[in-house]
Amino acid sequence: MFVFLEFLVFKTEEMEINLGPQHPSTHGVLRVKLRLDGETVVQCTPIIGYLHRGVEKICENKTWFQGQVWTDRMDYVAAVTNNLGWAEGVEKLFGIQVPRRAHYVRTLLAELNRIASHQLWLATHALDIGAMTVFLYCFRDREAILDIFEAFCGARLTTTAFRIGGLREDVPPGMDRMVRNFLKAFSTGIEEYETLLSENRIWKKRTVGVAKLQAKDAVALGITGPVLRAAGVPYDVRKAFPSAAYAEMDFQIATRPEADTYARYLVRLEEMRQSARIVQQCLDGLPEGPVMAKIPKILKSEVCEVYHSIEAPKGELGYYFVGEKGGANPYRMHVRAPSFVNLQALPKMTEGNLLADVIAAIGTLDVVLGEIDR
Amino acid sequence: MTAMTLTQSFVTALLQIVVLALFVFVAVPVIVFAERKVIGYVQLRLGYTRIAGGLHGVTGGLNRLMWWMGKLPFFSILRGFPSFIADGIKLFTKEDIVPEKADWWVFHFAPAISVVAAFTVLGIVSFSPAPLWTWPAAVPIVGGLPFAGVISDVNVGLLMLVGVASVGVYGIVLGGWASNSKYPLLGGLRSAAQIVSYEVPLTFSLLVPVVLSGTLNFTQMSQYLSGAPIQTSAGPAQMPALAILPLFIGFFIYLTCGFAETNRVPFDLPEAETELVAGFHTEYTGMKFGLFYLAEYANMIIVAAVAAAFFLGGHHFLPFGLQRFIPPSVPVVGGASFGWFLLWMALILFSYLWVRATLPRYRYDQLMHVGWKWLIPLSLANLCLAALVRYFA
Repeated sequence: MFVFLEFLVFKTEEMEINLGPQHPSTHGVLRVKLRLDGETVVQCTPIIGYLHRGVEKICENKTWFQGQVWTDRMDYVAAVTNNLGWAEGVEKLFGIQVPRRAHYVRTLLAELNRIASHQLWLATHALDIGAMTVFLYCFRDREAILDIFEAFCGARLTTTAFRIGGLREDVPPGMDRMVRNFLKAFSTGIEEYETLLSENRIWKKRTVGVAKLQAKDAVALGITGPVLRAAGVPYDVRKAFPSAAYAEMDFQIATRPEADTYARYLVRLEEMRQSARIVQQCLDGLPEGPVMAKIPKILKSEVCEVYHSIEAPKGELGYYFVGEKGGANPYRMHVRAPSFVNLQALPKMTEGNLLADVIAAIGTLDVVLGEIDR
Repeated sequence: MTAMTLTQSFVTALLQIVVLALFVFVAVPVIVFAERKVIGYVQLRLGYTRIAGGLHGVTGGLNRLMWWMGKLPFFSILRGFPSFIADGIKLFTKEDIVPEKADWWVFHFAPAISVVAAFTVLGIVSFSPAPLWTWPAAVPIVGGLPFAGVISDVNVGLLMLVGVASVGVYGIVLGGWASNSKYPLLGGLRSAAQIVSYEVPLTFSLLVPVVLSGTLNFTQMSQYLSGAPIQTSAGPAQMPALAILPLFIGFFIYLTCGFAETNRVPFDLPEAETELVAGFHTEYTGMKFGLFYLAEYANMIIVAAVAAAFFLGGHHFLPFGLQRFIPPSVPVVGGASFGWFLLWMALILFSYLWVRATLPRYRYDQLMHVGWKWLIPLSLANLCLAALVRYFA
């Protein structure tokens, strides 16, 4: 009846907006194509590949020893855990027995790296949500871990920490004091992060109930790591398929039932505490003995395939190797990168929510583009 | 005071304007420096101690200066301050880029609107109760005339302040729209909604001292807060002790809204760096960006000045009308002075920086929620309280 009044009605249209690849909060070169209705996200499409270097293909042309260097450059904030997956995968393929001391040192470094990675996650996630002080507190504490890595292998980020069959060298003298000092500083440091965030009203408003991902959806999408555990699923590769020295360690899997951003925050904080416990145990129970197994100068594989996964800070990091007869390098190498799989959850978590929640969701997924694009 | 000639009043005003503009141009770098330094202290770091550019040319000179300042006992704290010269040079000499599809006129006028609104408002703020100085007789034209602490002591000062300050939002909205880019557009729209929403509780909370005293004038308000009787067009008024309560509540509402009005953390949505890159000024470069920047800091100064004048005792030492308990005969703290006003302003500005270092950012809908469901009812209730106090006291 009032059709003639139609001109009074505002015409609205959806706006398409590119978040990235150059954007302050896409953590590297992630590009997210968003269709917005006002500030509400109608459709969210992550677009990846801006950091593709062909790590898997390159590793097929490197020997079993050389490939580890490339794993540093995948999840570049957690290089040690990447190294651990590669080294253990290759050892599994060749049936090499690693000395117990090497296992302990590997576990220690991998857990330190988990703390460093989670600290970097907390720093950037908090900065994305606008809390800038946590960023610097985290980086201050993370510095000590990088110093420990530097003392151990000379590199701070791209560590190439391990060798096939164990470690290149035993731990340097004085490293245990560095680790103990770090643990002491960390126990007060983590309190500081919590003081600033855990009961902060604005932080809770921005995270509680935001970017929910229920256990059913998470399992269906193949999500692993803290994101899955924050949905109440107690799956942790360290407990489910223990490698290195994890079977001998006493630690709990941190889980929360809420499945939201705040739960993921709490889970990661608890994981940091548990990692600190593991580091302490490794340090106290460090066995004596050699750190390197007897292995030939050149490894030649038989026809075989092997899949080995470990719990990286971001989730289940899997290495799949195919060997050919007499192969000095992998015939095929594939990486199950946790960030790559976890990123799939982004549309599910953000569609129907607001633009600001997309930022929170990218932060809470803790994706590293080096690992996604490989 | 003898009546001034037209020329004399014109020149006096002009001199005041120049001094005020210089004050702002000095205050803004000081606030920026304080911001970096305060946040640096909160985050257990030094803040900046050098600038990019090595040891050659202007930057080299500044770097050497800053290095020497680091050697001296007191100046080592101020190390880093000279870099505002480099900031200024950079802003003035950066290439001025206008996006091809931008609306040329609106794009150029938007920063001007923001900055003009901010500076105009400063003209009615009364910084000092008494004239700051008297020009010596030897000075031509203005010789023997006082230099007042306020450019124009408008009797509807607050009304004009609220009215003119709200024009500033046009700068942001138009700047966001004229850029013809999506992030600035979102930033501009956010800002429009935010500033319009928070203007309401802001004004309501500012009405509290107005209702209590019956004046809109800065100087009279300051007298009222000191407990002295004042004569307004609404009749005589003297502050009752009960009035402290609504003033106290009103101050916190005002401060919260003031943070939102100036787009500062935790309400910095229009320029939310991690969401909208730089919000409404994403496409602005050089001095046009510099003007937005200047306007933001000038607005902070205004919010601080108004809070000081209307809630924190104006030119007096104690806030919220507590000054009444100090007789005016007591030296220093008993009297009214320019210094107390600056001190209160500085404290409010410090709270800006403190909050910025501590709190995360609200989400857009939560911001609206806080504004409409909490601050507006609260400020209305507080206004009723003030009215009751005025009626019964």
